[in-house]
Amino acid sequence: MTTIIPASPIPTLQLEHVNRRRAGRPAVRDLSLALPRGQVLGLLGVNGAGKSTTLSIIAGALRPDSGEIKLNGEDFLERPELARTWIGWLPERAPLWPELTITEHLDAHGRLRGLRGVALREARTNIVERLELQPLARRLAGVLSQGQRQRLGLACALLHQPALLVLDEPANALDPVQVAALRKLIREQAAAGTAVILSTHLLAEVTTVCDRVAILHEGRLRHAGAVPADDHAALEKTFFEIAMNHPPVQAA
Amino acid sequence: MNTLVVTRLEWRRLLVRPLAWVLAALTLAWLGWNFTLLLGSFLAGQIQRAALPDGPGFTDLVAVPLLGQLAQLAFLVVPLLTMSVIAGERRNGTLPLLFAAGVPASRIVLGKYLAILGWLLLWLLLTLAMPLTLAHATHLDWGKLAAATLGIALMLAALAALGVACSSFASHPAIAAAAALILALVLWSVNLGAQMTGINGGAINWLAMSTHVQPLLRGLVSSADVLWFVLLIALSLALATRRLATDKERG
Repeated sequence: MTTIIPASPIPTLQLEHVNRRRAGRPAVRDLSLALPRGQVLGLLGVNGAGKSTTLSIIAGALRPDSGEIKLNGEDFLERPELARTWIGWLPERAPLWPELTITEHLDAHGRLRGLRGVALREARTNIVERLELQPLARRLAGVLSQGQRQRLGLACALLHQPALLVLDEPANALDPVQVAALRKLIREQAAAGTAVILSTHLLAEVTTVCDRVAILHEGRLRHAGAVPADDHAALEKTFFEIAMNHPPVQAA
Repeated sequence: MNTLVVTRLEWRRLLVRPLAWVLAALTLAWLGWNFTLLLGSFLAGQIQRAALPDGPGFTDLVAVPLLGQLAQLAFLVVPLLTMSVIAGERRNGTLPLLFAAGVPASRIVLGKYLAILGWLLLWLLLTLAMPLTLAHATHLDWGKLAAATLGIALMLAALAALGVACSSFASHPAIAAAAALILALVLWSVNLGAQMTGINGGAINWLAMSTHVQPLLRGLVSSADVLWFVLLIALSLALATRRLATDKERG
């Protein structure tokens, strides 16, 4: 089911000086980052660090107060409709329409993302098989367990084979077997050229899956760099230094 | 195209929820019973009316009063149908899914409105089917019936737009339903005081929905009345769109 996305020197995602206030306080401050195709970026941070706000902005669900966002070099804020085909988003806690079945969900998402007819049916069949959702296909979303909801949310995000995959704590409520399958799936997507940005609380998630890591604290980017290979302790040290409100660490 | 996708999604959600079916079953049963009563009364008075040269016919005594009953029910049915369209999405957290799919606020509102309108027009058609089943056996005033149907259709469309607007502003569906019901009743009877004191013109009468529905039910189609409904629909949908766009801005 994975389509190879052609190589391009332009980053899939580029954020320049993005700011956003929420509930009267700055949630994202002067955030700049770039994500080339085929890379997996892990977004780390304590609760309230601005991870979900950042991902909502990237997914097009929320507008920044200022700054620039480019998708494959195109101004995303000027052309929010780019989100339709280029971005797949799994929000935190996978919001679903409880009265629709899994199949209906995938059809609705597919149509919203511009898929029709045979293309939609093929995409749905492939993703249902890939995420092993066949036994649940006719079940209503309202009666799914949290782990099943998460898998359906992931299926909706992947259905249209986006160039950028935005995952907000994708391993939430998944069992260890499903977590391993999710990691494999993310790496497959990256190998096919999809840029992936994911937020997580789990440092192990980052060291296992991500090529690069960005640490947010109080809405600011405090650290950005390559994931230290097999050095969980180094990442943990950096994270805790930032989380304990030490002075910002220089970008690597 | 996005509008139709949202309409289809909303229509599907409407069909699988029991509320729409329960409302349809109860109201159509009530209207069917009333149709029987109106028909019985019409048949009972047929001999006396035969003496009148220009007496009221089947349309005046059965079809139009039946549509009037539907209009009364609409004050309750429409707020119940529209309450969840946006407030429910907001509570489910599914509204950002539509934003993230690049669907503009105007298309979300329009798509949802069209789905509700589809249900309401179907409801109107099923009600209209009751007097129409006797079309071959009685004399129908087609012009009057068409004007009355247009009046009720416009009223349903206006109430639906008002309901969608209330749903877009409310945080909870029940609040949306209550607000839509109160606003509709206020809009219907805002000129009650003026009418009681014998004032039949002026801005207050122009504001009232009843001023624009009643001529249509009597068979008088005026472009001013139609325009009033179009303005109310446009204003309500514009407000809903504005509110939804603010949702995306605020997050």
